[in-house]
Amino acid sequence: MTQETKPRALNRLKSMYALRAEVDRMYEGGVEASEEGKPVAWVMLEGWSNAILNAMGVKTVFPENYSSLCAAQGMAEPFMERSEAEGWPSHLCGYARASVGYSARMVDVGGKIPPEAPGGGMPKPTLLVASGETCDARFKWFQSLGRFFDAPVWTLESPSPGIRERLSSETYERNVQFLIKELKAFVAFLENLLGKKMDWDMLEFTGGGTNEINRLRWEINELRKSRPGPMHTRDFWSVMTAALFRGAADPEVIIEGHQKMYDEVTERVEKGIAGINRPEKYRMSFEGLPPWHTLGFLDQLAERGWNFVIESAYRPMRPRTVDLSMYDDPMERYVRRRYRSLEESLQEDYEPDEVEAIKNEIIRDGTSSRLGLKHISDYQVDGVVLHVLLTCRATSAGLNLLQRKILDVLKVPSLVIEGDIIDASAFNAAEALRKAEAFEETMDHYRKVRKELGMPW
Amino acid sequence: MTSEVSKGLTRSIELYQDRSSRVKELRAEGKKVMGYLCIYPVLEMMTALDIVPYRIFGDLHEPVTEADSYMPAVNCPFLRSCLDIGLKGKYDFLDGIVTSHICDVGSTLSSIWIYALKPPFSHHIDMPHTLHETALAQEKGLLEDYKKALEGLSGKEMTSEALEAAIRVHNEQRALVRELYELKKLNPPLISGAETIQVIKAIESIPVDEGNQLLREVISEVKERSNGPQKKSSRLLVWGSIIDDTAMMEMIEGLDANVVMDDTCVGSRPYFDDVEITDDPLDGLAYHYLVDIKCSRTFRVNNYMDVHKDYMKDLEIRFSYLKDYADEWKADGVIMESVRYCDTHGYDVPGIRDYLDSIGLPSVYLEHDYTEGALAPLRTRVQGFLEIIG
Repeated sequence: MTQETKPRALNRLKSMYALRAEVDRMYEGGVEASEEGKPVAWVMLEGWSNAILNAMGVKTVFPENYSSLCAAQGMAEPFMERSEAEGWPSHLCGYARASVGYSARMVDVGGKIPPEAPGGGMPKPTLLVASGETCDARFKWFQSLGRFFDAPVWTLESPSPGIRERLSSETYERNVQFLIKELKAFVAFLENLLGKKMDWDMLEFTGGGTNEINRLRWEINELRKSRPGPMHTRDFWSVMTAALFRGAADPEVIIEGHQKMYDEVTERVEKGIAGINRPEKYRMSFEGLPPWHTLGFLDQLAERGWNFVIESAYRPMRPRTVDLSMYDDPMERYVRRRYRSLEESLQEDYEPDEVEAIKNEIIRDGTSSRLGLKHISDYQVDGVVLHVLLTCRATSAGLNLLQRKILDVLKVPSLVIEGDIIDASAFNAAEALRKAEAFEETMDHYRKVRKELGMPW
Repeated sequence: MTSEVSKGLTRSIELYQDRSSRVKELRAEGKKVMGYLCIYPVLEMMTALDIVPYRIFGDLHEPVTEADSYMPAVNCPFLRSCLDIGLKGKYDFLDGIVTSHICDVGSTLSSIWIYALKPPFSHHIDMPHTLHETALAQEKGLLEDYKKALEGLSGKEMTSEALEAAIRVHNEQRALVRELYELKKLNPPLISGAETIQVIKAIESIPVDEGNQLLREVISEVKERSNGPQKKSSRLLVWGSIIDDTAMMEMIEGLDANVVMDDTCVGSRPYFDDVEITDDPLDGLAYHYLVDIKCSRTFRVNNYMDVHKDYMKDLEIRFSYLKDYADEWKADGVIMESVRYCDTHGYDVPGIRDYLDSIGLPSVYLEHDYTEGALAPLRTRVQGFLEIIG
């Protein structure tokens, strides 16, 4: 008699594996470039520098991603311990601490890749490109690596106005000009460093590839609104790396991989196939950065019928077509193609009457309770997991406010789980699972509340 | 003003203990009182429109009970305390709040404050992070927005003349604070670190002209008094994140040390450089607030267009003013302190230690959670440090 094997809780997308493999190739490419004497940059994820660096022939690797790779392979802890021994406070970003320890180890072995480095490692940088976008750690951390490397650090500015200020068209235009000038200064710095001129045609190519990848990611995410949710967040995170931290990978390869993924997800939608191999009892959103060291925790939740159909981090932007015919300057074209105003974002995401209501709220109160919640209602989420990170202020500071807003406005409850992106010791999976079990009653309750209020899910 | 007005250090202590007493009187007289967070929301522009700047602080002695529902505990305990106090209604008398991008948590706090407390007026200055030429132009543009916002609130135009006059009176305050710090160069210093915090916190709770008068009184009194700090074995420089309570200084000065100099934001940091009077006053203000003020929130390098990196030269450019402080105030050692979860200061700790090691100045790093209870174990560490440098 044959024994039936219960399928794994997650129903992984086949198209995911090829894209995930591209991440390995990104790191391999960095090592190869270094061995060939080509420049390699350590870069923070932001929307601007990668395409510029690639257009100038610089290979790019991403320490924040590399730290998550170390965590996923259980290799981050020794690097973090080394960071503390070097004097970096233990509350600092887990990504940063792992890379500080990694950098210290590089110095130990004469600037080479430490033999214990997972994934082939990152070669010694020619330069570091820090960022003012998203969090302060992203420039403070790279500056602090100066102890280990003689590579210059460029911090790329990125404006982030308050909500009311973002509504102003003057603010928007000033920020566009700021970005253009800042990126031109960055190019001048690179030209001086590399002894070569910027290839502006190549920037059109590398930048254009990024736009196409973003468009496909957006289209795939739109499909994820279906019931049952056809793609689990673990697949999203697995391929996100190839799309965003793609280094000098050929954009065409990444585009092709995403096209295949789009086709596979479309087929799942048509056939009603879910991203989990269990009945979809709860549609979930994951807010914050993932626990890279313990992603299997989500498989355990999938066993209970929790399908994470959407997430807050690394989401693609809505594709847009911008009339650039009046702009000749390639950098201005590059900036205007990507940088959008709050007014434009509102017009794209909300119905006209909602737009006016939100704008009036912002002008009157300085903010709107509806901002930041749209994915919860669009994906008809039953519950939200808020991952409060011990070492990340940028993603954690606002989570409790978000929890209040989601409940107040959408009647969707949240489960707060404390942990960390890199430090596995900060995360108690067993306790989180116990809380999750109890949380199901809360989700059931609010389902009834939403029904009584006539809400669509 | 109150009928019986005390003076000098006594008045400083009164204001330290009851900070809002004076501004509430002024508000009752019809003045607008504007709360501001950290040292970046350009006070001169408020003064130019006769708006009283009032700095928002936390309360180390008040347990955080309300802020938990808006901000997780793994964030700056000082800023959480500010929010907690705000949620408890203790800043309800303010006519508004001005914030800036001091750090990630500071910016998030701005959003939460606006959402939860619904102040009548709010403005956020999205300060750049670098000293790039583009960043300076951006900062000036942001100040133009800020000017318009304040003009809208006050219903008055902020003329260049009024702004220049405000810069002069704030520069006078900076000069007076520097004069006060001169009195700490003596051995023993004429004023303690704890008293300095009381004075600075007092002047950040009243209009600038009244603050200047208070500083004159304090300087005069301190010069004449015979009951100042006792001479101790060690003279210390304290660097770090915010200390808005005397408890830590009292702990250190209760040991065999005088705190003779600081680089903190309720201390010398906002006062040691003047604002240059420029043709367009906003140019001088933009430069001062972005470039002059040396807080860890800003990315500084030797020459940002230079493609060659020299770590020690970089450290010297960033931190040599600490050597100047140590030399001029004859400090034997440095206490680096930071409130827990302060990332911007935390990342600077290894570099500052490298720099101080390179000039042979001993240092110790203390991290605390902005509670009185955190000070006891720190006392042991400071004691150990004093034994080493003694």
